[in-house]
Amino acid sequence: MKSFWLLKDFFRANVWRYALGVLWLIIVNSAQLVIPYLLGYITDQVETGQATTADLWSFAGYIMVIAAVIVASRYLWRIYIMGTARKLEFHLRDMLFSHLQKLSANFYNEHKTGDLMAHATNDVNAVRMALGPGIILLTDAIFLTVATVIIMSQTIDIRLTALALLPLPFMAVLVMFAGRIIHLRFKAVQAAFSNMTDRVQENLSGIRIIKTFVQEDTEAKKFDEVARSLIFRNMDLVRVWGLFMPLVQFISGLSYLIVLAYGGILVIEGTITLGAFVAFNTYLAMLIWPMMALGWVINVLQRGASSMERLKVLLETEPEVVDRPDVKEVNRLKGDLEIRNLDFSYPDGTAVLEDININLPRGNTLAIIGRTGSGKSTLANLLLRLYDPPSGRIFIDGIDINLIPLEVLRRDIGYVPQDLFLFSTTLHENIAFADENFSRKQVEEAAKLAQIYDNIVEFPQKFDTLSGERGVTLSGGQKQRMTIARALIKNPALLILDDCLSAVDTETEEKILKGLRRFMTGRSSIIISHRISTVQHADEIVVMDQGRIVEKGTHEELLKADGFYSTLHHKQQLERIIAEDRG
Amino acid sequence: MSETYNYHEEEALGKSYDGRLMKRLLSYARPYWLIILTCIILLLVVTATELARPYLIKIAIDDYITPGPLLVWESGNEPQEGIKYGEQIYIHRHRLSEDYPDQPKAQLFTYEGGFYLVDGYIEDINYSVRREEKGLIINTEVGLFTASPLEAEDYRAFRQPDKTALVQLALIYLGIIALGFSLNYLQIYLLHRTGQQIIFNIRHQVFSHLQRLSLRFFDTNPVGRLVTRVTNDTETLDQMFTGVVVYLFKDLFMLLGIVIVMLQLNIRLALISFSLIPIVIIATIVFRLKAREAYREVRTRLARINATLAENITGMRTVQIFHRMGEKHQEFNEINHAHYRASFRELKIFAVFRPFIDLIYFLALALLIWYGGGIVIRGLIPFGVLYAFIQYIEMFFRPINDMAEKYNIMQSAMASSERIFQLLDTPVDIQSPKQPLPTNIKGKIEFCNVWFAYNPGEWVLKDVSFTIEKGQTVAFVGATGAGKTSIINLISRLYDIQKGQILIDGVNIKEMDLDQLRKNVAVVLQDVFMFSGTIADNIRLNSDIDDQQIRHIAEAVDAHRFISRLPRNYESEVKERGATMSAGQRQLLAFARALAFKPKILILDEATANIDTETEQVIQKAMKTISRGRTTLVVAHRLSTIQSADKIIVMHKGKVREMGSHQQLLARGGYYYNLYQLQYKEQETG
Repeated sequence: MKSFWLLKDFFRANVWRYALGVLWLIIVNSAQLVIPYLLGYITDQVETGQATTADLWSFAGYIMVIAAVIVASRYLWRIYIMGTARKLEFHLRDMLFSHLQKLSANFYNEHKTGDLMAHATNDVNAVRMALGPGIILLTDAIFLTVATVIIMSQTIDIRLTALALLPLPFMAVLVMFAGRIIHLRFKAVQAAFSNMTDRVQENLSGIRIIKTFVQEDTEAKKFDEVARSLIFRNMDLVRVWGLFMPLVQFISGLSYLIVLAYGGILVIEGTITLGAFVAFNTYLAMLIWPMMALGWVINVLQRGASSMERLKVLLETEPEVVDRPDVKEVNRLKGDLEIRNLDFSYPDGTAVLEDININLPRGNTLAIIGRTGSGKSTLANLLLRLYDPPSGRIFIDGIDINLIPLEVLRRDIGYVPQDLFLFSTTLHENIAFADENFSRKQVEEAAKLAQIYDNIVEFPQKFDTLSGERGVTLSGGQKQRMTIARALIKNPALLILDDCLSAVDTETEEKILKGLRRFMTGRSSIIISHRISTVQHADEIVVMDQGRIVEKGTHEELLKADGFYSTLHHKQQLERIIAEDRG
Repeated sequence: MSETYNYHEEEALGKSYDGRLMKRLLSYARPYWLIILTCIILLLVVTATELARPYLIKIAIDDYITPGPLLVWESGNEPQEGIKYGEQIYIHRHRLSEDYPDQPKAQLFTYEGGFYLVDGYIEDINYSVRREEKGLIINTEVGLFTASPLEAEDYRAFRQPDKTALVQLALIYLGIIALGFSLNYLQIYLLHRTGQQIIFNIRHQVFSHLQRLSLRFFDTNPVGRLVTRVTNDTETLDQMFTGVVVYLFKDLFMLLGIVIVMLQLNIRLALISFSLIPIVIIATIVFRLKAREAYREVRTRLARINATLAENITGMRTVQIFHRMGEKHQEFNEINHAHYRASFRELKIFAVFRPFIDLIYFLALALLIWYGGGIVIRGLIPFGVLYAFIQYIEMFFRPINDMAEKYNIMQSAMASSERIFQLLDTPVDIQSPKQPLPTNIKGKIEFCNVWFAYNPGEWVLKDVSFTIEKGQTVAFVGATGAGKTSIINLISRLYDIQKGQILIDGVNIKEMDLDQLRKNVAVVLQDVFMFSGTIADNIRLNSDIDDQQIRHIAEAVDAHRFISRLPRNYESEVKERGATMSAGQRQLLAFARALAFKPKILILDEATANIDTETEQVIQKAMKTISRGRTTLVVAHRLSTIQSADKIIVMHKGKVREMGSHQQLLARGGYYYNLYQLQYKEQETG
């Protein structure tokens, strides 16, 4: 329950809403309690013949007055309690979102999207249930139980009350106990369900093999097995769950039975009046609900608490990459990069970079070439501080990168990553991602520079075309060029292209690089690639292998060196010949 | 990305109710009509037991609790045992089976704490009482009655039969609730079992249909979405079958039952009670419209939240790299807030509807008290009838309050069923011919001017022709995207070609039985797909090959060696789709899998992944073993494979560029020569 403390700001701001809501609820309940009393009174008046037609008018009037109070308060408690719970849902989701934004790359390597989604949907929902309906159930259960029992025993008959209520605690215990079993069986159902989901997922992922080995029918049989075991788990649940409502009705029926027999005898003996008998029956009907609610409320609160616990773990995960307290005041990067004796290992201990030394003066182009897994992308990640590099190793404009404000660093470095992520917004918005104030003209220019302009204007809605599921599906090459445009529009002081031309044909690549050379005058760029054609014009080329720099120099120097670079060059020459073969 | 797909499509919510969809859905219930009918009958009885309580209380009040008439006989003439008081025998009318209309009556009477016996039955309630020496004189419209005082003891004796009857009534009630309990449970159990059966059948159908669809379908539909069809969408239908359809009957029975009982108790009071029904109906219709709109909006907005959230989580790196947290947060905040507003609107509709229905209920109650109380006073009906009405009217309003929730379930069920049916209606485009030609595949393969495209207009194979004789081993070489893989896909008809013909033993494969064709063509892909299950399961793939044979096969391809080193040998579980095994080991298992099916044609896509020399040699040896006596097509990446092939087919940009043996092609110094220099020369040393 302590985890709810995380929401203290919300509670502080909304405490009066909850208080008012509970107040309305208590008013409804109190007004409801008058009805049986009134019915009893009317019964006695009518039965003994003392009531006149005028009295009946006023009885009906009383009922309508009480009804007005009940109706108005019911409207109000819904708005106050349920409305506040909705507000809480909004607030909690917002908290979660903004916290997720602060967490670094490492966190996302360890947490699956689906898992995080479950937090934001199921857990938030469970917390809302606890703090909305949960509060209502709790108030109802406590207030109605206490008030009804007091009224019944004080105004009617204490023995009858005691006898009639005898079965009801069993009901509360039953609801609680059954609730626990139901919860367990429900978990088993969910397990069977996800088992089935896995089965389907596996089958559909391997559909090719299934088809080539003609396993369709046997796979269907196997699927039937898991689907059938889901039936069994469901029926296990139904066996208990299905017992629940009928049993609750039965137990409340027992209470009615006691009132019918014993209460009736009391009326016959003249101990209580017929009106009291009628009132008692009506009070009893009012008690059954809170008794059931008492069992439920425990489950709802428990579930809410454990969901809040899970959310708390997430919300209290410390972001790894943040501005340090001794951060320097830097407004603009110029683009001088220096890396001195950089070693780097991932948090899990795998060493990725060893003794890296690089000097990239402003306005120059550095190329990094090497096999996959040689550490090229890790280097780029460090320059953007997706992971924090060790101090005193990477300097931009002579300042330790760890002391540069993150905002400035990421604003002034243009990065084109390998993973081609586009948002499902318009193409314009995707290119102008860094700043929504970029004009259409600027967007078009960036698109032209990235050689994607011609593709975009071919779409019927041009730059207003939606990308992704609800719009066009771009090819890998188109996506790469989109991400290039997205980085260029920022006018970065340092541009990093991380192997982002692999899906672009050589001709387009040439055009892009040519345009870039003009565009990047006076600014620095780093081009990461495994293609010679991409890197050959760089001022300096660095060859990486297994986390180390193994060769360094210009294209011509490296060709002469007759090492890794020249072998690669030779191979790629041949590739080119083959590819250009027009047969 | 596939995870995000599910969130997007929720936004497009289908029609709320569609007769055509409903009819098709209910057709799945048809085979179970008998059980469903039983459930409905059970529900009828259960409803009756629920309606019994107010009626029993009415009997208790009118017949037993309120002193009823006593019939009086001279002692000795009584038809059955009665209460002897003075010279007379008094019998409670509720104990007599006959009416005896001419028999004199008496009545017990309580006045100012004293007990009296009246020498007649005061049918009318309007009376006045005058105290006299001997007792009371009661003046009514029909005349004067005298009431003589009774000792408390005598009074108790007179009431004893009432008490006994009350206890008997309670026992009857016990029987009724016990019956209601057991029948209700039975009904719930049967209903859910049937619901599960129906959903199982739908699931089975959806799954089996998916198995029949061609790869082209899977290329365009993300797996995640299809999984949702089979699992979640069907689950929603279960909720509809078990939570709504049958309970609609229950609500209907309840309402009808109440109407009948009320009419039977008192027509005028019943009609008065019903006078408010039109308001309820109008309110319900208005609510339904409003609630539907609001519900859809909430659902749409929630789907948007989820889609945005999923997108932001997937693209968090991009957001952080561009330092757009503030803007993305703002964007999310707006979407989140839009959902809040929508859910608040929905809340308001409920907050108005529920209390409004309450208001009508109280109005009905007030009407009953005003009008019903009036006729009770005038003695036209006993009080118990009024009380029964009060209780029935409360029961009448209950199902109306539950309606909203059921309506929401119906809406999502309709959306789900629409998606399911759409999938079921997707035609199976690659099927066996109606009358397949008898096949006994030997292994000669011919491609005659084959044209093929995955997407219309983008030809992947252009006019490809070649012949492979039975038992030959042919290597396909070429750069990435030359069309090698497509050829593999076509032989087992995973895709159909657009132009030309593919013949096996001179028969067009489109005229063969599809299963027969595929059973005779085994394919080993580069990326070996491993199923969860044991090693043995992964080799035998559901077939009934016994453990002994599996072992022989594994030995033949040299997989036995590494399998026997696993902790549980052939019974070892394959974890994480085989990620714990090396690429070489997976390849060997795939060989074993292919061999187990004794195919006539074998297609191999050689692994490009780094495999150590030792394993490499093992694989080469295994390949020789399994290709013996079989037509073998290899998409080759290894020089040794090419060198030992009977024929090399060089593919380039969807066309056959060169054909011949390794030496012949090298001698030509053409395309193959260059390719050899690039891709295979290095391997010569290895």
